[in-house]
Amino acid sequence: MNSFNKVLNKSTKMLTKRDIAGLIIMLPSLVLFSFFVWVPLLESVHLSFYIAHGMRFIKFVGLENYATIFKDPDFMAALLNTFSYTLWSLVIGFFVPIIMAIILNEIIHFKGFFRVGIYLPNVIPGLAVAMMWRFIFKPSDTGMLNIILKNFGIQPQVWLADPKLTIPLIVVTMTWRGAGATTLLYLAGLQGIDPELYEAAAIDGANIWKRIWHITVPNIYNLARTLLILQIIAVFQVLYEPLVMTNGGPNNASISLMQLVYKYAFEKFDYPKASAVSVVISLFLIFFTFLYNKIIREKEM
Amino acid sequence: MKKGYLFLAVLLLFSFLMSGCNKGNKSPTTNSGEIQKEQKVVLKLGIWPEDTLTNDVQMFEKWKQQFEAKYPNVEVVPDHYQYSLDTFVPMAEAGKLPTIFETWFTEPQKLIAGGFVKDITSELQQKGWDKLMNPSIKDLLSKDGKIYGVPRDGYALGLYLNLDLFEKAGLMNPDGTAKYPKTWDELAQVAKIIKDKTGRAGFCLLAKDNAAGWHFTQIAWDFGAKFEIQQDGKWVANLNSPEVIAAMNFVKDLKWKYNVLTDDPLSEDWASGFQAIGTGRAAMYLGAQDAVNQPTQVNGLPVDKLSIVPVPAGPKGQYSLMGGTPYMFSANASSEEIMAALNFLEMIGKAPVVTDESIAGLREDAKNRVENGVPVIPGFPAWIDPNYLKTLDDVIKEYSNVNMALYNDYYNWIKKEGVLRPEEPVLTQDLYAELTKVIQAVITDKNADVNKLLDNANNNFQDLLDRNVNK
Repeated sequence: MNSFNKVLNKSTKMLTKRDIAGLIIMLPSLVLFSFFVWVPLLESVHLSFYIAHGMRFIKFVGLENYATIFKDPDFMAALLNTFSYTLWSLVIGFFVPIIMAIILNEIIHFKGFFRVGIYLPNVIPGLAVAMMWRFIFKPSDTGMLNIILKNFGIQPQVWLADPKLTIPLIVVTMTWRGAGATTLLYLAGLQGIDPELYEAAAIDGANIWKRIWHITVPNIYNLARTLLILQIIAVFQVLYEPLVMTNGGPNNASISLMQLVYKYAFEKFDYPKASAVSVVISLFLIFFTFLYNKIIREKEM
Repeated sequence: MKKGYLFLAVLLLFSFLMSGCNKGNKSPTTNSGEIQKEQKVVLKLGIWPEDTLTNDVQMFEKWKQQFEAKYPNVEVVPDHYQYSLDTFVPMAEAGKLPTIFETWFTEPQKLIAGGFVKDITSELQQKGWDKLMNPSIKDLLSKDGKIYGVPRDGYALGLYLNLDLFEKAGLMNPDGTAKYPKTWDELAQVAKIIKDKTGRAGFCLLAKDNAAGWHFTQIAWDFGAKFEIQQDGKWVANLNSPEVIAAMNFVKDLKWKYNVLTDDPLSEDWASGFQAIGTGRAAMYLGAQDAVNQPTQVNGLPVDKLSIVPVPAGPKGQYSLMGGTPYMFSANASSEEIMAALNFLEMIGKAPVVTDESIAGLREDAKNRVENGVPVIPGFPAWIDPNYLKTLDDVIKEYSNVNMALYNDYYNWIKKEGVLRPEEPVLTQDLYAELTKVIQAVITDKNADVNKLLDNANNNFQDLLDRNVNK
């Protein structure tokens, strides 16, 4: 017992000494993180329980802001749309990078060229991309896409102005811009696979689909899982694409929760309600992440 | 070596913390500085033109020199601020707002409620201007009897015409004026003729943002609509009255029956509407006289190709939506700074005071317009001092660069009794937002159920009224 204490004492003493040095090294980033991330984050939660003028706290009102935002005529539409964005982004956007990465991995000539080409849309500022696609999707016969389709004898479409198509089309533009970066991540994952596995499979007579299914997919499974949750988190916060392309319209067909935040904060200068919506968004995301982790863990067990 | 790093890190940390402390202490010292009256008054002019408008900057430089010569205790500091929603609150909260700045006609009540702007009632009373302000505009800038702003100018909606398209469609009178539509039904017909003959849109309808609802209230009033009714001290939404339904059906017809709108009304906002007129994308658009530089100077329409005519009449009347573009003042500004700002407005001819300087100021402004191809036409009287109005009139006649026949019908019309109508009074932007959604629905869906959409909008708006106003 005594000797155990001795050891403990010694180790704690040593640890404290090292701790101090470690903490001092960490301090600048701790301070910066708290200044730029954690404090604003907590302040935002704090603010959501108050009435404020600008950013000056005026009165504590408890959950009143939350009650108000749930009754906002746009809230339900924004919530459902946000789920719709997320779903469509999984349907349209999730497999595109995987497929592109597999194809890219098989290409022998001009590999660098294609790799750069796939990443290029990512380099364009997001707002510019949204504006460009709005231009492409312009309805009637002056829209770019409609002009192209006219050559094939297809009547002009209204594209974004069709409430049923608005969200899928916005997701297409988001995929166009974002898929490249994800593709590169998958590509890195694919190149980490031991080529001998493929050779062995080929010798055993596995065709290309079998090789993909039994070797490629299991090897990028973990990566795909992480990217899936990251994608959900990112798309759940979709803001500038609908803001620029449709301003949430037509008739709220594409308004997102983040856009509601934007409206409260920058159109009405009502920061507490903007914070309340943000808190709701983060609660949803925390819940999803929790649920996802639980499912994955059960599956693995 | 190791110690050296640690020391450095600690030092950095301290300097970081210290700089943080400094910031916190700053505001009290400036406050105590304001109390000492001997100090020079610093007038930060947010209405200073942006750097790219070199002519305007020169004009302001001249005014600055004159002003500082006349009021040696005041230092004029150029501090151009273009009001925008995403910069305003951070600037106001950091105490960085210029003493005087220009904002939009939609903003005053919001800024007053947020405590961002200064109550200038006593300063205006000292000057005697509070009695000279156009009463309806004063209402827009006041809350609970206190005045928070000064109008730069007022505006009253009319119908902008692109005469180039009217000529091409053969819709001109021999005297050079346009055969413009007198009623909304005629507007649809005229727009159809223009669309058929020129291929361009007859009418630019807005459907992107709240400006769509704003324009729609103007149309619907002519159909007899009244969107907000006060009953026993409570506000009642009236968005689904037969009059509003009729007006909404008219808008729907413009798209589906006549097909005379621009390609994508969902992307049209206030500025793009003027761009449509300026570049000949559309022939008609609702706009006010204060935006006359938009199609011309900004979008290149020759000065003689523009005409402003009365808004068409509807079955139940012919109104012009009016309002004012305000100057407002930073909440931190001292009384001396406010007075300096008001004196500056006086010198540039934006106040109801006639002096040699203010006449020179008005002249300078008119000359600048002529040089930039902007029609020099009368403003909308934001002040009601007769002497001031006459001076204004004289200067405009002197510098006139357009055929006034293209504008006279409009000006004679807005002078008539009962034509001008201020915006709907409460939760105006929320009202516009609800209407905008309905407009978007009816122009994107041929089979949209107007009654149902308006019922829904009415319920939403009543709910907002009950929660925010009828408490």
